[in-house]
Amino acid sequence: MSAAAGSGTNHLPTIAVEGLTGCAGELLVILENLDKLLPFVRVVRFPFAQSKNEGGAVDITFVEGSVSQKHDLEKLKRIRANTRWLVAVGNCAVWGCVQKGALCKCKAAEMIEAVYGSAASSIAAEAMDAAPLDSHVAVDVKLSGCPINASQFLAVTASLLRDHLPYIVSKPVCLECKLRENPCVLIEDNLPCLGPVTAAGCGALCPSMGAACYGCFGPCEEPQIGAMTTILKEKGYEMEEVLGRLTAFGAVIPMGEKWQK
Amino acid sequence: MLSPTYFLPKERFPDFLNALKSLGQVFAPVKVSKQSYSFKAVEKASEIAFEALRTILPPKKFFYPQSETLVKFEDGEIKECIEEPVFKVIFGVHPCDLAGLGIMDTIFEDSPGDTHYLRKRRTSMIIGLSCMPDKHCFCQSMGTDCPEKGYDVFLTDIEDGYFIEGKSSQGQKLLADAFADKVLERAREAHKDRYKRFWLDRSEAFETGFKVDNLRSTMDLEWENPVWEELGDRCLSCGNCTPVCPTCYCFDLVDVAALSSKQDGSGDAERRREWDSCQFVGFAKVAGDYNFRPGPVDRLKFWYRHKLHGFDDAYGFKTCVGCGRCTVSCPSGIDDIVKVVNILQVARQEKDEGQPK
Repeated sequence: MSAAAGSGTNHLPTIAVEGLTGCAGELLVILENLDKLLPFVRVVRFPFAQSKNEGGAVDITFVEGSVSQKHDLEKLKRIRANTRWLVAVGNCAVWGCVQKGALCKCKAAEMIEAVYGSAASSIAAEAMDAAPLDSHVAVDVKLSGCPINASQFLAVTASLLRDHLPYIVSKPVCLECKLRENPCVLIEDNLPCLGPVTAAGCGALCPSMGAACYGCFGPCEEPQIGAMTTILKEKGYEMEEVLGRLTAFGAVIPMGEKWQK
Repeated sequence: MLSPTYFLPKERFPDFLNALKSLGQVFAPVKVSKQSYSFKAVEKASEIAFEALRTILPPKKFFYPQSETLVKFEDGEIKECIEEPVFKVIFGVHPCDLAGLGIMDTIFEDSPGDTHYLRKRRTSMIIGLSCMPDKHCFCQSMGTDCPEKGYDVFLTDIEDGYFIEGKSSQGQKLLADAFADKVLERAREAHKDRYKRFWLDRSEAFETGFKVDNLRSTMDLEWENPVWEELGDRCLSCGNCTPVCPTCYCFDLVDVAALSSKQDGSGDAERRREWDSCQFVGFAKVAGDYNFRPGPVDRLKFWYRHKLHGFDDAYGFKTCVGCGRCTVSCPSGIDDIVKVVNILQVARQEKDEGQPK
């Protein structure tokens, strides 16, 4: 990792933490774990957490939020130009989250009109169709979650500090659920659990509490959407509800696209 | 010389449990939801679900845990993590699961031997317990319906008490000590008669199954049977069928880096072994992103073959023990091994009958 000349903490690798359009959940997780990072990095920019922020190039930038406004895009391009590693953190940055999911149901202009009424036109001039970071710039690491898992975040950072791209697998939530030996809520309670098609990382949080997984980490690798839809329909769920659940967190899936048309 | 057999009246079970507890931590099936059970640590007999047929995870989890650190990288050195295992007593293991443990033992003992598994396995005692099959049990078809190996002591429920046999030397010692302490009685002729009747009744109680004699050729010759595509279309690739299997042992190895302030970039990390599944798309992916089992149907067919035929040549046994866990754990209902084998065998028979003699 590059080390700038200087004294004190200046020899440490540098990081920045930035937010676009999102709920700041990821920024909170990073803030909560910042004490673990501080011995190893110098935080150059983190406007959410500190008032003194510097410009210039950094080694790693963690970016939360989706690109939903024109100034998000300008900011993202500046970030990309000034960082060696760009890490998309959270579902918003990786998949687009609910703000992108909503676009499966209606057009952005309709949403803006419904929310802002007479002020809609000035808002619409700034708004863009919500999109994940990699729709606009190259992203080095994608760490999904809503919010992200703190231990995954620390492991990803540790890998990058060693110049290794971290290995992030997207096996389904069912694996984590079975490893915790949870009773299956899809089978036993007929809940519309999306565990089979959702990426693990949360530790099967919702099914462990007896609730259905609602897919907040985004899809697992090659989700079997056809089979998932068939099984939920057989359990009596309406197609609209099934597709609404599948697309809620912004993932582009073939069924969602078909439904939009 | 035949080892002595014993009788334990049910009202004295708490004393027997105390004898087990004196050896180590006791684990037994506990009810965890309206239809699921799990092997958990127990203190009192009232916590044990004697009626449990199958737990969510089989007892392999005690010796081959879901996630285990194998080595640590510390200060530039590689240190193997060999923990001193705590003695465990696993109570209430049914014949299918005993067969499963026997198969896991064979696999993990095979040269060079898996230290992590074997150390834990060798500091344990397995107490088998008889059961009556439900509609998903087909251990009789797989030939694993009677206890043969993988256990120390076996209890057969003969109504007012248990008929008890010792298998291993540590099992026989436990029974001899419990007899000396007047917890157990010597089994009498009446107990032996009821024991024989139980096993005869049980062998008549199976509701489902198939003939195993032509399974090998059926699995090979029906490789292109259209049923596979039908099953593949419904497969979620969720992987539930493999962690619940008493003999699935596939794992992933992951290196997890810890934060380090070392200037040369070296530092602490650990290598973990975690259960994996052949049903995941990444499982058979190799360099260059080539995947030799790309679709759910390829992976499902592979799993079926692995369970019903894959070990015939290498080890001379099948790795399915007929416990029915995959059948009840599959959200799509496609892991009904009995149903699938029946479809394949009927197709085979029809083709055989159509052949000129």
